[in-house]
Amino acid sequence: MPEAVTVENLAKDFPLVKLLGPMGLPLTHAHKRVLSGVSFSVGAGEVFGLLGPNGAGKTTLLKILCTLLEPNQGRAAIFGQDVVQQGAEARRLLGYCPGVERSFYMRLSARENLGFYGTLNNLSAPTLRSRIPLLLADVGLEAAGDQPVRNYSTGMLQRLALARALLHQPRLLVFDEPTRSLDPAGVAWWRDYVRRELAQAQGCTVLLATHNLAEAEEVCDRLAILHRGRLQALGTPREICREAVATSLSEAYSRFTSADTPIASPALR
Amino acid sequence: MSASVRVSSARKLWAFVRRDFHTEASYRLSFVMQLVQVAFLALLAYFMAQFLRQKGLEAVTPFAQDYFSFVILGLAFYDYQSTAHNTFAHSLLEGQMTGTLETLLVSQTSLETVVLGSSLYGFVSTTMRLVGYLLFGVLLFGMPLAGANWGAALVLLVLSVAAFSAFGVISACFVLLFKKGDPLSWVLLGASGVLGGVLYPVSALPSWLEKLAQLLPLTHSLEGVRRALLAGEGLGELQREAFFLLLFAGVGLPLALVAFRWSVRRAKMTGTLSQY
Repeated sequence: MPEAVTVENLAKDFPLVKLLGPMGLPLTHAHKRVLSGVSFSVGAGEVFGLLGPNGAGKTTLLKILCTLLEPNQGRAAIFGQDVVQQGAEARRLLGYCPGVERSFYMRLSARENLGFYGTLNNLSAPTLRSRIPLLLADVGLEAAGDQPVRNYSTGMLQRLALARALLHQPRLLVFDEPTRSLDPAGVAWWRDYVRRELAQAQGCTVLLATHNLAEAEEVCDRLAILHRGRLQALGTPREICREAVATSLSEAYSRFTSADTPIASPALR
Repeated sequence: MSASVRVSSARKLWAFVRRDFHTEASYRLSFVMQLVQVAFLALLAYFMAQFLRQKGLEAVTPFAQDYFSFVILGLAFYDYQSTAHNTFAHSLLEGQMTGTLETLLVSQTSLETVVLGSSLYGFVSTTMRLVGYLLFGVLLFGMPLAGANWGAALVLLVLSVAAFSAFGVISACFVLLFKKGDPLSWVLLGASGVLGGVLYPVSALPSWLEKLAQLLPLTHSLEGVRRALLAGEGLGELQREAFFLLLFAGVGLPLALVAFRWSVRRAKMTGTLSQY
């Protein structure tokens, strides 16, 4: 059985316009490398965290896996489906929770939003009729399901985003900073849901990007630490601490992402 | 584990129309104001026609000696062209601004269906306005549609929408690549308004501009639809107009879709897909 996620020697550049000439036309071009030679894999059923400071390349990596960006080099696959060559097949296997909470049709209700996205994800009308109430109940939005989404709090939108990602029962769930705007109760609920419901009960693979170390340590089986587009460390929280000769994940993270001389995990050298 | 089955593109397109109808209907005032706008434009056409009649200038129109019918169809079809130019680019920009574009592109729906679906309600809404124009025209201003060839008009309408849409999809490419400042819309909409025969017949133009007007789909669309609705001509008599519209659509749409795919690919490479 293939790994849930395979990333091999992935590199991504973004163009930077350096200088503008007459009429604002670009005179010179430069590129910024946001991912460089990143390789790792995620086993089926794992909860895997991508850690790193802002600009480390976490969101870029997630977007490549979700087929929203194309890499300049290397390859990535979801359960063996190449995200560039077999994008449609890869998308069938994944559910994506973006970092933008407002990625809904705000004048529509939660039910209408889920119905729309469900249809786009090839769910039949009878399936949608049974699945939407179940999902709304699952994420605690049953009572608010008919309200326009514009009335929702940030926490409710995050829950709705989770319900949307789960609509077609994907095997891999991808979260981009899922608890960034949640209150402590919302954070606790989300962590519990990921571990208990998604990972244990449903056997889903979960890939999440975060810079919340406590969350990563509590929720994730394994972690990857990215810094300036490079993979600095890979392993369980305990392994990462051991490799950094640190007493806590926070200390290890600081060592791997220090601005001056980041060290790479011995496992990656 | 997956609950997915194969859902037809038609059902997906219908889901887009329902989504946009519910969104639009939630802005009740805007919904009503569209009807008011149709009524005002119909009145404008009526008074212009009255003015020309009083001055003995109604013969400016080639069909039925009726400027009101001439201009109301001109305005309605110019509305279609504006919709085609704006709806693709607008829906894309809106998706980029709200973050919904990425959620659509991660779904199990083809790019073509997403683009077409996101724009379909614009055409539905324009068709509702067209019906409004015709109803106002017939019921209040005596527009002579008794001998209209509706079948020919419908075929020409479909061909016109397809031809206009080719340019609309290319406008959407500009949004993907440059975000703002689509020159095609400005040039083509402006040229169509001046040269396409919206307010006056193309024959009123200097001969060199009349030739230039033949390069615009709106010219053929208006010529064909007016003759089908006001003179009752069939497709046999309207072969030339149908041919040009088919040419614009048949060549333009595949090219536009290739350009759109390339633009999306380019935006995925440069990381600007969700930027605006």
